[in-house]
Amino acid sequence: MGARRYVARKSLQAVVTLLFVLTFNFFLFRVLPGDPVGLLARSQRLTEQDVASLQAELGLDRPVASQYVGYVGQIMTGNLGVSLRTGREVTSTIWSRIGPTVLLVGLGTLLATVIGIWIGIKGGWRRGSAFDTSTLYGSLALYSIPEGWLGMLLLLVLSGMLGLFPAGGFETGGETGVARLVDVLDHLFLPLLTLTLGYVGQYAIIMRSSMIDVTHEDFVTSARAKGVPEHQVRRNHVVPNAFLPTFTLIFLNFGFVLGGAIVVEAVFSWPGLGLLTYDAINQLDYPMIQGVFLLSSAAVIVFNLVADITYGYLDPRVREA
Amino acid sequence: MRFATRKRHRNGTTRSDRATRAARGPVAIVVATTVLAALASPLARAQSPAPEDLVLRVGVVSDLITDNPWGVAAGSDWIVATIQYDMMLRFAPEDLSPAPSLATGCEPNADSTEWTCTLRDGLTWSDGSPLTSGDIAFTYGFIVDNKISPYKSYFPYNPTFETPDDQTLIWKSEEPTFAPDMPPWVYIVPEKVWAQYDGQPLREIKAVTNTPSIGSGPFTLTEWNQGQGWTMERNPNYWGETPEVDRLEFRVYSNQEAMVQALRNGEIDFADGLKPQLIQSVEGLDNVTVQRVVSDWWLNLAFNFGGQSKQSDALPALHDIEVRRAIAMAIDKQAIADKVYLGTATPGDTIIRPASAYWHLDIPAEEELGFDPAAANALLDDAGYADTDGDGVREDPSTGEPLELLMPASQDTTGAVEAGELVVGFLDQVGIEVNLRPVSDAKMNDYWGAGNFDAYIWYWSGDPDPDYQLFVFTSDQCGNWSDGCWQDPTFDSLYEQQRTEFDRAARQELVFEAQRRAYEQVPSVVLAYPGWLQAWRSDRFTGWVPAPGENGYLMPGYNYDSLVALRAVDDSVAASSGGSSGIPGWIWLVAGVGIAAFIVVMARRGRRRELDEA
Amino acid sequence: MAATEQARLRSARSLIWQRRRAAAAAHRATFRRNRQGMLGLAILSFFVAVAIVGPLFIDPASLEPATADGPLLASPSLAYPLGTDNFGRSVLALMVQGARISLLVGFTAAMGTMFIGASIGITSGYFGGTRVDVALNAVTNWFLVLPWIALAIALTAVIGPTLVNVIIVIAITSWASTARLVRAQALSVKERPFIERSRALGANHWHMISRHVLPNVFPILFANAVLMIALAILSETTLSILGLGPANAISWGRIIDDSFSAGALSAGWWWWLIPPGVAIMLVTLSFTMVGFALDEVLSPRLRER
Repeated sequence: MGARRYVARKSLQAVVTLLFVLTFNFFLFRVLPGDPVGLLARSQRLTEQDVASLQAELGLDRPVASQYVGYVGQIMTGNLGVSLRTGREVTSTIWSRIGPTVLLVGLGTLLATVIGIWIGIKGGWRRGSAFDTSTLYGSLALYSIPEGWLGMLLLLVLSGMLGLFPAGGFETGGETGVARLVDVLDHLFLPLLTLTLGYVGQYAIIMRSSMIDVTHEDFVTSARAKGVPEHQVRRNHVVPNAFLPTFTLIFLNFGFVLGGAIVVEAVFSWPGLGLLTYDAINQLDYPMIQGVFLLSSAAVIVFNLVADITYGYLDPRVREA
Repeated sequence: MRFATRKRHRNGTTRSDRATRAARGPVAIVVATTVLAALASPLARAQSPAPEDLVLRVGVVSDLITDNPWGVAAGSDWIVATIQYDMMLRFAPEDLSPAPSLATGCEPNADSTEWTCTLRDGLTWSDGSPLTSGDIAFTYGFIVDNKISPYKSYFPYNPTFETPDDQTLIWKSEEPTFAPDMPPWVYIVPEKVWAQYDGQPLREIKAVTNTPSIGSGPFTLTEWNQGQGWTMERNPNYWGETPEVDRLEFRVYSNQEAMVQALRNGEIDFADGLKPQLIQSVEGLDNVTVQRVVSDWWLNLAFNFGGQSKQSDALPALHDIEVRRAIAMAIDKQAIADKVYLGTATPGDTIIRPASAYWHLDIPAEEELGFDPAAANALLDDAGYADTDGDGVREDPSTGEPLELLMPASQDTTGAVEAGELVVGFLDQVGIEVNLRPVSDAKMNDYWGAGNFDAYIWYWSGDPDPDYQLFVFTSDQCGNWSDGCWQDPTFDSLYEQQRTEFDRAARQELVFEAQRRAYEQVPSVVLAYPGWLQAWRSDRFTGWVPAPGENGYLMPGYNYDSLVALRAVDDSVAASSGGSSGIPGWIWLVAGVGIAAFIVVMARRGRRRELDEA
Repeated sequence: MAATEQARLRSARSLIWQRRRAAAAAHRATFRRNRQGMLGLAILSFFVAVAIVGPLFIDPASLEPATADGPLLASPSLAYPLGTDNFGRSVLALMVQGARISLLVGFTAAMGTMFIGASIGITSGYFGGTRVDVALNAVTNWFLVLPWIALAIALTAVIGPTLVNVIIVIAITSWASTARLVRAQALSVKERPFIERSRALGANHWHMISRHVLPNVFPILFANAVLMIALAILSETTLSILGLGPANAISWGRIIDDSFSAGALSAGWWWWLIPPGVAIMLVTLSFTMVGFALDEVLSPRLRER
């Protein structure tokens, strides 16, 4: 199958999944108990007439099918609705909070990837060595630590006891230019460290097993038989092939930006999407919850698609599947 | 790690060459992002601070939800409204009695059906336009005409408002009233901003946001980053004494631990609303002072009597006063004050909070339903609630069902959930099972509205005047403000009497009677009177004006007097404060794209290696 | 049926069991040689023992906030080796009780995950390519794509944070990866020749699934289950830290949440905050090590050559 058909097929699959997600999201929030209009009416002490107008505005008085069509149409124009809590547009609220999360999780995943892969390659290549054993157990231990608690521990020691870092938040405020960058980085350090440590173990372990797997393949044995020097075997034969499964995992994780960040954001008062989601759910702000769910699902789908396409680009065998 | 000798690869590069090449990508991205962020920061800031601005930085845990005084919902909304606007008459800091504000005073006529209020001269809004009696008449009329709750309860007997001239307001009431002198806790808003919303559906009025910040108070809202904080600048047209503070910066923290840390580090000057457990970490410090505010709210264990909606299904046994009394006696309120509030609360008794000192009734010890599990057990035994199946839980003889209470507890109310955990244990001792559900306030509203709970733990925070607090317990507030639709004609009649009693001493007697009735009938158990804790850097600011009285709020609170009177301890304070704002989203989009680009570059490198091998 | 035929059938069946027993013995031997796995098993046994036996030595009244009588927030001493919490309860007692709850949640939630995931995965894989598969696959994809924590928070907000509900929520949000794994395995089993032969002999779906697909899927399911227990424990911890943990039971995650919310960080009550995290880490680590060892045992390629 040609590259173009592969891309087209994968893109189509992604679109279908996205539509399915849209539909599922729509019905999920109409099926959940907890009547948002009633909730708002009671908390704001609205009159009967107000309730009716609110229902009309949310389209809750139309038949479900017509509501669904309206909903899809709305999404297409990028309108994710209006927050029940603040009255602001969901889209603009999400947009204003997306930055800190992208910064934290993006950088964290990047660092975890680079470091984890390096450790995995080295450990997997020299299996059973002191480096391998120690990093393997280290990775397993890091993988087993609950992220939220790790963040608390770092806060306790590095901020509370030693006073090296601030206790939370995005910045102290009152700085400009480079001083401000330094301030933000100061605040970023602990949550970033927490996130990186949380993911690095995973990548190291996957890369390591991948390396071990590939090392036992036939073409490696034949390369060695041909007399290719060890480090070249590693560089040109083993690593590229071992890298592929890890690569997919990177993108899958990238898509889970929201999930990984919620606890860390909560512990460090990091004002990103994770915290926004948590607050929205606590406040039963349905349009906001729906908007964030949709966005994160879409992000995962998009990243999966990019992973699939790039994977297909790197490894032509996959295209035949 | 041993570096290999410089063997050359087939395509002519060495390992270190390729390492350098590999590093170039990420380094470039990081450098680019840094430069971009640095360059963008001056662009991102809304204003540059004047040199040596005096800034008060305040930490809060609840975000600003709306700047709309009609849609005020959470704690921080009140703070902004209180600072930005004025009441016609304000709360005096000593005892919350009516004091001059926009008006210098209000005089009643002979039978108190007409009050004449006189405004100060030369009042202007923050944008320079004149503030007249027309604005006040408009504000009050707006509330009455659009039935805006909870404010409409300040305007009984269909009042009308006349403005013979810009400086005079006449409040005409159909019946004798002291409403203007309470004073009504209503912030005066500019007619020109709000006139367009007059007559709109209530929900739309409450949903209006980002209105022009035109106020009469000492500071006005100038910047607002949801989730991070907001800024208020000094109002040059404020009618009172010019504050020394130039700017107020509020920072939102998602948890109090971080806020306390920030106070200790000097990142903020004031922390508003601390949990009792955190006091220990600041109490010993030289440069931090803790203000224990006398309680103006109380922790409420309310019973549900049913009748709110079709789904309301309260436990029938709760209609039996003996059961409610037994529950009250089973709970050790001192233990709650000690264990949950670490001594910063006092055990509760009546429904009027202690901060309203003149109106609060202290039930004498002999008459109290004090902590006595043995007596509680005896009471339940005598009333016929025996444990028929020996599982430790009593059964209701009329229905045969076990005494099991579904009890939601508010997670957003300090100490409610912990107190709930103690209550579970206490009621277990008298054979009543409690199913505790910690939920957010939004969910509490759900339970309350549907009435599908047996009891819940929430709070009440009344006004300085007891009228409102008594009002919410009356029978016709079922479905409106009432916790569980308690219906008691005796209480209702006492409420009506105190509402129309003009003699202060006589009224106090009636208010005491009402409290006594509520105490005996137990529609709620007043668990505790928790204080509010504020902490501030005494090495930076001084001159706080607490209200009410010595153990009052330093920050609003009831009024903004502190902020006007505040002074820096010395000149160094101004030099170390400044201002800033949030970074717009596009900066991070660039960073995100940079990171994504790096990934693609890495991937392509992998591909190239494969080609090399082939 | 002739006696000889019966005898042959009986011996055929007993032969199968003989083979299975031999295989199991071989697996066990391989497992024992795996240092990681044995270490994990040792740690696990310790905690399981504590969970089973420990609570028997604790007076339930001392765990109730209302009746606990220790000093409030005391640092470790001889009487209270891990100090006390804000209600005066011994942290050591809380930890022992918590072992039972945390392990119970982990195990039960993982079983739920396995059950749902395996059922859907096997059905989907076995009927691969048909409408049933397409539908089930779509559902699986949706659950995979949605961040589990967002769904977990929403579900808990609706049904309330009790012990049973937390288990349900974890099972509902975690089954998708298992289903995908099982489906892939079931698909590959379906392609094997003996399946075709069975169909030709007239076997029905149920027979095929229980006799052929299930046994071949089982090894991978087993290894996955152990890893799922580790994940379930971590998930419960995350939910607890967000305030959505079991409100009516003491789990290690809840101890962390309680201590953090009470201000352990700023006040420095490390004896309350640190032990639960360490315990969770050790238990998760041991399950993971055992799971990886099982993986090696059951998929020969990872073994040392």
